[in-house]
Amino acid sequence: MFSKILVANRGEIAVRVIRACREMGIESIAVYSDVDRHALHVRYADYAYRIGPPQASESYLNIDKLLEIARMSGAEAIHPGYGFLAENPDFARRLKDEGIKLIGPPPEAMRVMGSKTLARQTVSAAGVPVVPGTKESIETEEEVLRVAREVGYPVMLKAAAGGGGKGLRLVNEESEMRSAIRMARSEAKSSFGDDSMYIEKYIERPRHIEIQVLADQQGNTIHLFERECSIQRRHQKVIEESPSVFVTDEIRKEMGAVAVAAAKAVDYEGAGTVEFLMDKEKNFYFLEMNTRLQVEHPVTEMVTGIDIVKEQIKIAAGEPLRFKQEEIKQVGHAIECRIYAEDPDKNFFPCPGLIETLRIPGGPGVRDDSGVFEGFEIPIHYDPMISKLVVWGKDRQEAILRMGRALSEYIITGVKTTVPFHIRVMNNRHFIEGDFDTNFIDQVFLKEEQERIPENSEVAIIVGAIEQFIREKSESLKSDEVREGEGISLWKSSFRPGFGRRF
Amino acid sequence: MNYYVSLEEKEVLVGVAEAGVAQFKIRIEDREIAVDAHKVERDAWSIVIDNRVYEADLVVSDDDIEVLIKGDMYPLRVLNEQKKALSRVSEAAEGGKQLIDAPMPGKVVKVLVMEGQEVEANQGVIIIEAMKMENEFKSRAAGKVKEVFVKEGDIVEGGERLLLIE
Repeated sequence: MFSKILVANRGEIAVRVIRACREMGIESIAVYSDVDRHALHVRYADYAYRIGPPQASESYLNIDKLLEIARMSGAEAIHPGYGFLAENPDFARRLKDEGIKLIGPPPEAMRVMGSKTLARQTVSAAGVPVVPGTKESIETEEEVLRVAREVGYPVMLKAAAGGGGKGLRLVNEESEMRSAIRMARSEAKSSFGDDSMYIEKYIERPRHIEIQVLADQQGNTIHLFERECSIQRRHQKVIEESPSVFVTDEIRKEMGAVAVAAAKAVDYEGAGTVEFLMDKEKNFYFLEMNTRLQVEHPVTEMVTGIDIVKEQIKIAAGEPLRFKQEEIKQVGHAIECRIYAEDPDKNFFPCPGLIETLRIPGGPGVRDDSGVFEGFEIPIHYDPMISKLVVWGKDRQEAILRMGRALSEYIITGVKTTVPFHIRVMNNRHFIEGDFDTNFIDQVFLKEEQERIPENSEVAIIVGAIEQFIREKSESLKSDEVREGEGISLWKSSFRPGFGRRF
Repeated sequence: MNYYVSLEEKEVLVGVAEAGVAQFKIRIEDREIAVDAHKVERDAWSIVIDNRVYEADLVVSDDDIEVLIKGDMYPLRVLNEQKKALSRVSEAAEGGKQLIDAPMPGKVVKVLVMEGQEVEANQGVIIIEAMKMENEFKSRAAGKVKEVFVKEGDIVEGGERLLLIE
């Protein structure tokens, strides 16, 4: 086992990894930028090294500097967390050359899964279902029509060189196809100088369901069941849960086997996640594989009882997995809410700043993975996530009620957070019934919220009036004190008419 | 004391009188409500009305008070009688001046207009980057850009003036 691990990250995930190290008797090394000296990950670590100025490109993304600190500090392994360098094959290769173990997959697995087309080809060859369509560009209109008929409408027409929504067309039926091809082609030509197109089946209102996998260096690969991450805002996950209400035991088994096959296809090592889109008929299609620890890993930990970060470290140290697939059980239900420093009432505008008050919920089944504390100033330079609130319940209903309860106890002042947004989701009928897809928040929930009439407006008005009353009272007391305290200088005020007058 | 409390378009007159330590008599229209109100933490009130418990978190900036109760946010404007009278006067005198300020610290990525330029309602006027996100600020109403207080690349504080539109 390692004796020293460098954690190349910040925020809650650095704290999460350092906690695992401490519980395993491994010394941890933190790195920090100039704005993070006070951060929890530095204070919880055994050693800390300054890495550079606030900008990520000059600190947490600085490979040369990280390697220098790794050498200097005697780190045997590096945990990259998520984001920053976690899925950078160059970083993985440099570490390999230096003889420092990356707690993650080999560089080649990272490279293959990092490329959309290469990943699809590789997993498809291993029998993993991918979204039906063509991977090469199609020449003639006749060919496009033939392929579209084959995969079935609606289809997406995509520019091979595309990006940013350009040269992208949703085609609902064959009669729309010819004009869609012409428009998409000319758009692609003018945007990318290349008008080659390909076709993919359009998955209507998909759910996002992913499988957590663990693979050791001996070639044993298992999965830890699914997480449902369909509650997204602008394609960013905000609430995750395990198990998914939508997945049956049979499909769960099938998805698990497919995910293991995808991992094996690239000789995967460590913890990884195979993401799928699932349509209304519960057909699932490979989306991508994330070759790192996921933000939402705690929901899997809560239902399986397996500490994924500790497993990552053991695997990296060369230990074989201690459990077989059939020993892994999914018990109860877990939900995670990502709490961001954003104002849900002002279009989720980011709100960095000083956390003035912080009260974290507790009680049965509640876990808060956070990187902040009262008095901490959330820097403007990084991701505005401040915490992940996770609950476990014996079933989904208990988990939802428990999450609502925990959120109502969560007090953060000084910055706006998404806690109120999560309370509203926990109260939403569609969410409670499990009736949602990846478009739910943007297309259904926010509309329903606009029409909902909050029920405590009179209490709010009363509190507002009392607050103002008390404030004016204490201000007038203060100004009285000032006047009394002035004593001998009272004469001044006679030369300055209006001094001390208040409205 | 009487307060004009407005929530979105509605305005109510609320009478507040102290009736003991942390006890208040509130009058809304012709109803009188006994309220037990304790400031328990900074910006957090614990309220009991008819033995029913409420927790309210506040964000106060002058007369704008945002109240958060059970996950719902109530943006209030609370004016005493003098201020209400003053606001009637100043609203008439202001004549549609619009000061755009930075709601949070960040960096000016782009100024989209020049001084003297005519702008339409909802036209983007400036882009501020904060926390890896770019946010475009729009003019609420049509008008003319009177003054630009910042330039591209400037680091701005929360509340700092950015533009004045007339």
